Amino acid sequence: MNNENDMRRKHGTDRANDEPLQPTRRQFLKGLTTGTVAIGALTQSGCGPAIPPLKTRGATATTTVCPFCGVGCGQVVSTRAGKVINIEGDPAHPISEGTLCSKGAAAIQVVNNPRRLQKVLYRAPGGMAWEEKSWDWALERIAARVKETRDKTFQTSVDGRVVNRTEAIACLGGSALDNEEAYLLVKLMKTLGLVYVEHQARL
Amino acid sequence: MSTPTVKPKAMIQDNTRCIGCRACMVACKSWNDRPEDHTDFFAGNGYQNPRDLDANNYTLITFNEIVTGAQPDWVFGRQLCMHCEKPACASACPTTAMFKTDLGPVVFDESRCIGCRACMQACPFIIPKYDYESFAPKIHKCTFCADRLEVGLEPACATVCPTGAITFGDRDDMVTEAKRRIAAAPGTYIPEIYGLEEVGGTSVLHLSSVPFEQIGYITGLPKTPMPDLTHRWLRMTAPVFAVLYAVFGALNWIVRRRMRRERSEGEHSAG
Amino acid sequence: MTNHWIDMLNADVVLIMGGNPAEDHPIAMNWLARAKEQGTYILHVDPRFNRTSSIADVFAKLRSGTDIAFVGGMINYAIEHNRIQEEYVREYTNASWIVGDDYNFADGLFAGYDPKSRRYDRSRWAFALDAQGQPRRDPSLKHPRCVFQLLKQHFSRYDADAVCGITGTPKENYLRVCDLYTSTFAPDRAGTWLYAMGTAQHSHGTQNIRSYAILQLLLGNIGVAGGGVNAMRGESNVQGSTDQGLNNDGLPGYLKMPVEADVDLKGYLKRVTPVAANKESANWLQNTPKYVVSLLKAWWGEHATNENDFDFAYLPKLGRGFQGQGYAFLALTHAMLAGEVKGLFCFGQNPAVGGANARLIRAGLDKLEWLVVADLFEHETASFWKRPGIDPARIPTEVFVLPASSGVEKEGSIVNSGRWAQWRFRAVKPIANCRPDLDIVDGLAHAMKRAYEKDGVFPEPIRGLTWDYGHEADPHRVARELNGRFLVDVTEKDGKAYGAGKQVPGFAQLRDDGSTMSGNWIYCGGYTEEGNLAARREMTDTPNNIGLHPKWGWVWPMNRRILYNRASVNRKGEPFNPRKWVIRWDAENKKWEGDVPDGAMPPGEMNPFIMLASGVGQLYSPDLVDGPFPEHYEPVESPVKNPFSTTQSSPCAQIWQSTEFDRYGKPDVFPIVATTYRVSEHWQTGAMSRNMPWLVGLVPNAFVEIGAALAKREGIKNGDRVIVSSARGSIEVYALVTERFQPFFIEGRMIDEIGIPWHWGYAGIVPGDIANDLTASVGDPNSQIPETKVFLCNIKRKDRA
Repeated sequence: MNNENDMRRKHGTDRANDEPLQPTRRQFLKGLTTGTVAIGALTQSGCGPAIPPLKTRGATATTTVCPFCGVGCGQVVSTRAGKVINIEGDPAHPISEGTLCSKGAAAIQVVNNPRRLQKVLYRAPGGMAWEEKSWDWALERIAARVKETRDKTFQTSVDGRVVNRTEAIACLGGSALDNEEAYLLVKLMKTLGLVYVEHQARL
Repeated sequence: MSTPTVKPKAMIQDNTRCIGCRACMVACKSWNDRPEDHTDFFAGNGYQNPRDLDANNYTLITFNEIVTGAQPDWVFGRQLCMHCEKPACASACPTTAMFKTDLGPVVFDESRCIGCRACMQACPFIIPKYDYESFAPKIHKCTFCADRLEVGLEPACATVCPTGAITFGDRDDMVTEAKRRIAAAPGTYIPEIYGLEEVGGTSVLHLSSVPFEQIGYITGLPKTPMPDLTHRWLRMTAPVFAVLYAVFGALNWIVRRRMRRERSEGEHSAG
Repeated sequence: MTNHWIDMLNADVVLIMGGNPAEDHPIAMNWLARAKEQGTYILHVDPRFNRTSSIADVFAKLRSGTDIAFVGGMINYAIEHNRIQEEYVREYTNASWIVGDDYNFADGLFAGYDPKSRRYDRSRWAFALDAQGQPRRDPSLKHPRCVFQLLKQHFSRYDADAVCGITGTPKENYLRVCDLYTSTFAPDRAGTWLYAMGTAQHSHGTQNIRSYAILQLLLGNIGVAGGGVNAMRGESNVQGSTDQGLNNDGLPGYLKMPVEADVDLKGYLKRVTPVAANKESANWLQNTPKYVVSLLKAWWGEHATNENDFDFAYLPKLGRGFQGQGYAFLALTHAMLAGEVKGLFCFGQNPAVGGANARLIRAGLDKLEWLVVADLFEHETASFWKRPGIDPARIPTEVFVLPASSGVEKEGSIVNSGRWAQWRFRAVKPIANCRPDLDIVDGLAHAMKRAYEKDGVFPEPIRGLTWDYGHEADPHRVARELNGRFLVDVTEKDGKAYGAGKQVPGFAQLRDDGSTMSGNWIYCGGYTEEGNLAARREMTDTPNNIGLHPKWGWVWPMNRRILYNRASVNRKGEPFNPRKWVIRWDAENKKWEGDVPDGAMPPGEMNPFIMLASGVGQLYSPDLVDGPFPEHYEPVESPVKNPFSTTQSSPCAQIWQSTEFDRYGKPDVFPIVATTYRVSEHWQTGAMSRNMPWLVGLVPNAFVEIGAALAKREGIKNGDRVIVSSARGSIEVYALVTERFQPFFIEGRMIDEIGIPWHWGYAGIVPGDIANDLTASVGDPNSQIPETKVFLCNIKRKDRA
C-alpha cells in the first residue's frame, strides 16, 4: 500500500526555465509578429507517461479570428505537417484575451471534418444524385448559364430610361465572407447587372 | 539535483460569473481529444447534457432553475475532478496509476490503469468515470491539463472561460482571492468556499450565490481526508502483523521447543 | 456599433434589450463581467429569462413586440424627472429646431398618410425655415413646436401604467430599469445600449432602434466612452459584407444604388449628395461625388472618364422591384416563387432555413432553372431538391455545389461589430478540392469575361471590368484596391505630393476628377503606404486609457474607434467627463488628443454629427418612412388590441399577401405569442454547427421552450414531442418546460409566449424541423427586415394534435 509520501510523485529534474506562454489571464505574448510563431517549442522535464508532452509542442502557430459571431475573438491555430492539430483562444487578443465560447472552442471541427464538402458536386436537372465535376468544368458551365439567363432577360431600358439590369438572377450571401471576397462579389454581380443582391444582414 | 520549489496550483470556479456557455466543456474535449456525445434531447435539467460526467466529458455544467416567488433565476454549477490535497482515488489505486503531483493535479498513468474501478468507489465526489464502450476500458477524469501546467499554461477550461468564472493560479493566492470576493460582495455570495476544507482540502474552490446542494453539488462531506479515515486503521496493518508475527512466532517457538523437549524426553525414556 | 466591445467596461449602466449576449456573443460577457465587478449595473429586458439574465442586476420581462412602449416610457421618465444632459441636448441635437405647421400626430398616424399606398408624404414633416432657408430654432426649448416639446408631448402618453399594461413588465422592475438607466444623464456617467436581432426583426424594427437613439441622445450617451447605440452583429463579417454593399440598394461604402430616375451621373449625384441644413453642419457626405467617382474608376479603370460619366451607365438601376416592393430579401423570395428569378447564387447563405416563411422560400427554390451554392457543408439549400417529401424527378433545377475553404484555409480581413478590421492569416492550405471564395469569385469573373468575349447582350461592363488580382487571386491586391490609389501624380492644396500608383492615405484625399480610385471609401486609410493596418497586433492604448487600442487592427473610418466623439466635448473641446475622456483639445499645440476626432476641425461652431446633413443628433427624424417619432404598434400578428391608438399595427409595414404561403393567423386559433432565438452552442441555420459533433452533442435536437403554466394546461411534460403551428405551417419538436418563460398579464388576461431556436433543418448530423416555416413575410418599411421575432402560434402535444 502507499503511504502519504508516495502519493505525491516528485517531479524529476529541473523544469525548463522558460518564460511562460500564457502565464496569467491578463498577460500577453510579447513580440508576436504578423505571421507564424513557434509556440510550444520548449524542452520539458521528464515526468514519465502520466503527463504526456504538450500536444502542440513544436507546432506552427498562426493567428486568425473566429469564424462565428461578430465579436471577432482571436484564435491561435496550431498546425503540424500541414494539418490543424489544435485551435484555441489567442491570449494576446485585446477583446478575447484567450477566451472563446463553445462554438469558437470547437472550431477545429470546422476544418478537420469528414462531412466537409470536398469536391465540386453537380446535380443535373431532374437528377437523383450528385455527380463529381472539376472546377474548370463547373465554372465554365456556370458562366454559360449566367450568360444564357442574362442575355434572355437583360433590360437595357424601360420606358425610355436606361436601366441596364437583369431581374432574373439573384445573389445571396455572405456574411462570413472576407471583406476582399464580399467586395469582389459585389463588383462582379453588380457589373453583371444584378439588382437582387442580398445577404444575412437582414436575417 | 535540487528541485526548485514548486507552488501547487488551484482553481476558483465562481458560479456567480458562470453564464452556462459550456466553452469549458468543449475546450476540455478539444484538448483531451474526447469524442462527442449522442443523445436525443437534453439528458439533464434545462440544457444540461449529458446528465453526468462520463468517459467523454471530464467537466460538466449543471443547469439549475431556482424560482423565488415570481422571480425565476438560472444558476449554473460545474462538476470536475477536485484534485484533492489527499486524494482518495490515489490512495485506493492498487497500481499507483493515480497520483498527486507537486503542481496540484491528480493525474493518472493510463498504462498502469487496470480498470479495477477502486478509485470510482473511493472518490467522495464521484468523479472518475469508466469507459464502458471500450474493449480495454480505462478510467477517465480531468487531469487539470497537467501537460499544459508543465509549460506554464493554464488548463484549457481556465483559458477559455469568457467571464472569468474560472480563475487559476497558486493555491494560496486562489484561497485569498476566494475569501476576498466573498468579503467584498456578501450579498452576492453565500459564505462558503466549496472545496476549501472538504476531505482535507482540494484544488478547486467553488463559489456560489445559492446553497451548493441546489446546484448539483455533493454536500455534507467530512473535513478529514478520505485516505486518513482508512489510513488510521490501515497503517496499523504492518505493526499489527508485526505483533502477530511476533506473538505467533513466539508461540510457535514455545510450542516447538516443548515438542522438541517431549520428543527428546520420549527418546530418553525409551532407553 | 458606434462604440466597440471593450468600451463596455467604461459604462456605468448597461442595458441589453433585444439581445442575449451570454448566448450569442459570449465573449462580450468578458467585459460585462468585469464592468460588473467595478460596480456597473447590468439591466436585461427580454421576454424570457435566459443565460444573460442570469448575471443581470435587473431582469425586466417584456412581451415580444412592445419595445417602443418600454423605451418610449423610459423617454417619458427621463423627461418627467428632468434627467436630460442639458448642454448636450441643446447644443448637439435638434431639440431646439422648430417643426413646420404641416406636421401633426393623431390616433397613431402622422401627417401625410395615404392608406392606399401605405406611405407617408414626408414633406409634411419638414422643419420650419427662416428667411435664409435655415431651420428656425428656440435654444430655450420652450417653443410649443420645437422638437423637444413635441417629443415630450408625444411620449407623455407612455406613463408607467400604460407601458407595463401593454408590455406585461412588473412595474417595480420597469421603474428600476428607468431609474438606473436614466441616471446616466449626468455628464460623468455613461450608459451603453446593446441590442441585436430581437430589436431589429420587427415590422417597426428601425423605429425600435430609433427609440434607443433618442433616449441615448437625451442622456448625452452618444460619442462618449461607455455609451453608444451598439448592435451586436451575428456573423464574423456581416459588418464587413454590409460595408462592401452586398445589399440590393447599396454600393460599397453605403453609397446608394442608382435608380431609374438617375439618368446621368450628375443627376444621380445631385440626388444622393446631401446638402447641409445650416452652416454649422460639416455634412461630410457632401464629398459623396469623390467616393462615387473613385469607385467607378476602381471598377472600369482607364475606360471610365469624365466624358462618359465614368461609365456610370454601366451600373444597373433599381426599378420598383417585384410587385412594386423593391428587391430586398422578402421581395426576392416572392419573385422566386413567381418564377421570375431563373438563377440564384448562394455564397455562404442557407435561405431554405434562415429566411422568414421558409416553406415559401423552398417552394421558390423548386422553380429555379439553376442554383450555385458555395459553402463548407452540404446544407438544406444545396440539397433542397432531395429534401424529405420531394420527388427529385419533378425538380428541374440544375445545381452546382462548390466546396469552399474555411477561415483557417485562406487569408483576408473581417470586421467585427465594433468596426475593427482584423486580418486572418492562413494556417493550412485549402483541404481536399476546396477553394477560398476569393478564388471562386475570381474564377467566375474570368469565366464570365471569356463567355462575353465574342458576343452577348450589353457585354461592355463585363469586358471593360478592371479585374486583375493575380494568377491565384491575391487578397492583398484586393485589399489595396479597397483602400485605393492615385492614378496620376497629384499635389494637394497643402502642398503634399503623391505619386501615381501610391496608396491614398485617407478618404480626404479622394477626388472626383478621376485621379483617384478606391473600391470602398470608408476603407480608405486601411491599407496605405504604411502597409496592411488591419494586420497590426499592438496592444498600446491612447493616453486616455479607455481601451481604444489604436494599433490593434484598423477601424473604419480612419481608425476612429468611437463615432461622433466630438459630442463628448463642449464647444471649447473640454470633455464632459474628464475621467473617461475620448478626445480633448490641446489648445497650446492646437491639436486633438485621444481617439481620432470625428472631424479634425478645431472645437467651436461645427456640430459633431458630421455624417448627418443636419449636423446634430436627430430626436425628430423626417428621414424614416414610417414616422419622425417612434410610436407603439402591435406586431402584425398580435393577441392584443393596441391601447395607444386605433392604428393596430405599423401602417407602413410591408405585409405580403400574394401567395398561398402568405397567410396570417388570428388569436382565436393561434392564441400564443411566439418568438425565435438562438442558443449559444449553435450558429444560425446550423449549416456549420450542426455538422460539428461536439456542438451537436451539447444541443442535439430541435426544441421549443414553453412556460410551466402553459405546459401544465396542455399536459406537456419536459421532453414530450409537440406540434407548434402558425398560419403558415407546423413543426414537430421537443418541448423544454421551464419556469423562465412566464406569461404576461395584458389587458386583464394572461398571454403566453413561447420561443423556438431556429438552428435546425433536414441536413446535418441531427436534422430537425425548421422554425422559420412558422414565420411570416412581413417587412419593416425602412429596412424590409422580416418580423421573425414575433408571430402567433398554437402548441399541442403530438398525440393530441
